[in-house]
Amino acid sequence: MWLVFSKELKELLRDRKTLFFMIALPLLIFPIIFGIAGFVGKQAIDKAETKVLKYALVGGQYAPEIVKDLQQPDKFEQVEISADADFKSIIRAGTADFVLVIPDNYSSDVLTNGQANLELHFNDAGLNLVYRRVNEIVKSQSDQFKQTAFSTLGLDEGQQKALIKPIVLEKVNTADTRENWGEKIGGMLPYLLFILCLQGAMMPAADIGAGEKERGTLETLLISPIDRNKIVFGKFLTIGFAGTMTALITVASMAIWGFVISQGMAVKFVADFMAQIGVMDFVLIFLMLVPVVAIFASALLSISIYAKSFKEAQSYMGPMMIFVIIPIMLALLPGVELKGGWAWVPITNVSLAMKELVKGTMDYFQLFAIFGSTVVIAGAFFAFSIYWFNKEKVLFR
Amino acid sequence: MIEIKQLAKKFAVENPKKLSEQEKKDPRLKGRFFHSVKDVSFSCNKGQVLGLLGPNGAGKTTTLRMLSTALKPDAGSVMIGGENVLENPIIARRKIGFLSGTTGLYGRLTGRENIHYFAQLHGMQAEAIENKIQELADLLDMHSFLDRRSENFSTGMKQKTAIARAVVHDPELVILDEPTTGLDIMAAQTVLDFIQGLKQKGTPVIFSTHHLDEVQELCEKVVVIDQGISKFDGDIAAFKAMADNSLNRSFMSIINQSKQGEQGEVSCG
Repeated sequence: MWLVFSKELKELLRDRKTLFFMIALPLLIFPIIFGIAGFVGKQAIDKAETKVLKYALVGGQYAPEIVKDLQQPDKFEQVEISADADFKSIIRAGTADFVLVIPDNYSSDVLTNGQANLELHFNDAGLNLVYRRVNEIVKSQSDQFKQTAFSTLGLDEGQQKALIKPIVLEKVNTADTRENWGEKIGGMLPYLLFILCLQGAMMPAADIGAGEKERGTLETLLISPIDRNKIVFGKFLTIGFAGTMTALITVASMAIWGFVISQGMAVKFVADFMAQIGVMDFVLIFLMLVPVVAIFASALLSISIYAKSFKEAQSYMGPMMIFVIIPIMLALLPGVELKGGWAWVPITNVSLAMKELVKGTMDYFQLFAIFGSTVVIAGAFFAFSIYWFNKEKVLFR
Repeated sequence: MIEIKQLAKKFAVENPKKLSEQEKKDPRLKGRFFHSVKDVSFSCNKGQVLGLLGPNGAGKTTTLRMLSTALKPDAGSVMIGGENVLENPIIARRKIGFLSGTTGLYGRLTGRENIHYFAQLHGMQAEAIENKIQELADLLDMHSFLDRRSENFSTGMKQKTAIARAVVHDPELVILDEPTTGLDIMAAQTVLDFIQGLKQKGTPVIFSTHHLDEVQELCEKVVVIDQGISKFDGDIAAFKAMADNSLNRSFMSIINQSKQGEQGEVSCG
C-alpha cells in the first residue's frame, strides 16, 4: 500500500501540470491576481475622484452659497441648459454629469421656510462619486443652517443633541469579537478550503485511475501479486494527500501574502483574533479537512476508475464542484446549526463545524456525527472502487 | 508442466447495435454473448517455447489474458506445476511473467524505476532488485536509456523495458503477447534472443505472433487457434508436415479445414 502511495507520489511530483496547479498557482498567481485587481480598482476610484464634473443648475438663484461652492474649476464645470430640457437625455448625451434642482423655498431661515428638498439627477449605474462630491457641499450648508436655527431658538448643546436625535437605541453586542468575526470568517473558510482541496485532487485523480488505463499500465498492475484493495488504498491516499497539500499551501500563501500586504494596518486585529482561537481549535480546523478529503478522494477515485479515459474522467468530475458548493451554501443559511439532522449532512456538517471552531462555540460531541456520516459515504465510494477494481470490466469496458 | 484444458470465455454484448457487420456474422455471437474463446486446450513443457498462431480476432489475446489471470475463464482449467492457478490467482501471478500487447510504462518514471516498482510489488528485496536489473539490462542492452524518463523512449526501448519488467521476478512461465509487433529488426532480434535465453535456462515461454519465421526459429510447439477453438496442438515437425514443410501453407490448410468444417455443418443442418 505504501509502495503504491510512494510511487504515485513520485510520479505526481514529476508532473509539471500537477505541480503548477498544486504549488505555483496558489503561491504566485493568486497574489498577482489580487494585486492587479486592487491596483485597477484604486485607479478607477482615483479617476472618479479627480474627474471634472459637468453640471447644470436649475433654481441657482435661490442658493447663491451653493453656486459659489460649485465654482471650483478643477472639480466642477458649469454648462447651460434650456429651461424645459429633459434631464435624463442631457445626462445620457453626456452634456452634463449631473443636474442640481434647487427649490424656491431654499433659505437659510429654515424655521420659516421648512425643509428644502434638492434634487440631484445623475446616472448612478456605474462607479461614480457624484453624490458624495455634491453632498459634501450641500452638507456644509445644511450644518450652517442648522446652527443658525439653533441659535435663533437659543438652545444649549444638550438640547441641540436631543432635538436632532430624541431617542438613541444603542447596540450592546454580547458576542465577543471572536464570535462576531468568526461567524463571518468561519463561514467563508470552507468555501476556500474545500474548493481548493477538490481542485488539487482532481488532476491527480484523473491521472491515477483513468490515466493508467489509457497508458496501458493498469493491466500489468492488476496481474502483479498485490491485493487489489491495497492498490485502491494507495491511490486513495495519494489523491487525498494532493488535495490537502493544495489547500494548505494556498491558505499558507494567502496568510503570508496577506500579512505582507497589510503590514502595519490590520495586523494587530488579525493577531489578536488568531490568539483567541487557540492551538487546539486550529488543529481541529485542519483535522476537519480529513473527512472532507476522504469523501472527495474516494468519490474522485471511483469516477476515475469507472471512466474509460482521462477525458471521460474529467468530464464526470466537472459537475462535482456544484455538489460541493451547494452543501457549503446550506451551512451559511440562517437556522442551519451543527445539531440534530444537520450534523449528519456531509460537507455541510464540516462547514458548520469549521465555523463553530473559529467562533469558539464548538460542541465537540458533534464530531461523532461528522465522522460517522463521513465513514459511511467515503466507505461507500471506497467499496465501489474496490468492487470495480476486482471486476474484469475495469480493463475491458 | 503447463496444461490448459478446455478454456472458455464469453463476454456480454452491451450494445448489439454497435457491432460491425463482420462481428454480427461471426458464429461465436450467440444472443447477448460473444463467445470469444470456446474450447482451447494445449500444454507446454519445461524448456519449451510454444508459438500461438491464429488470425486476428481468433481469441489468442483472450486466451493469454486468461493465463495471466487478468480475465477469469468461464470454464476449463490452467495447471502450472500441478497447481490449479485459477483457484488462487495470487500464486499464478507470482509464477507468471506476462507481457500484454497493449502494455505501457509510467512515463514520468525512468526505465529503472518502472522495473523497480514492479519488482517491489512482487515483494523482492532492494539488493536483489538491483542485481536483477543489472543482469536484465546486460541481456537486453538497455544501459544507454535505463535512467531516462520512459515517456521519451522509442518503441524498441519501451518494449525492452516492458519485457524486463515482466520477467524481473524470475517467473516459472513467461507469456508474451505479440512481443515483436511494431519493433524494428534489431529490437525484434534482441527480443528473440532473449526468448532463446529463457529457453536455454529451461523457462517455458508461450508467445503469440503473426511471424512464422519466428516460429521456425524458436518454437518446439505450435498451437493454432481459430474462432475461439484450438485447431492444432503439436510439435513443429508435425505442423510442417501438414503441407510439405511450408509453414505458411500448413497454417492456411488448418484455417481452411476449419472453414470447410463449418460450411459442412451449415449445409447439413
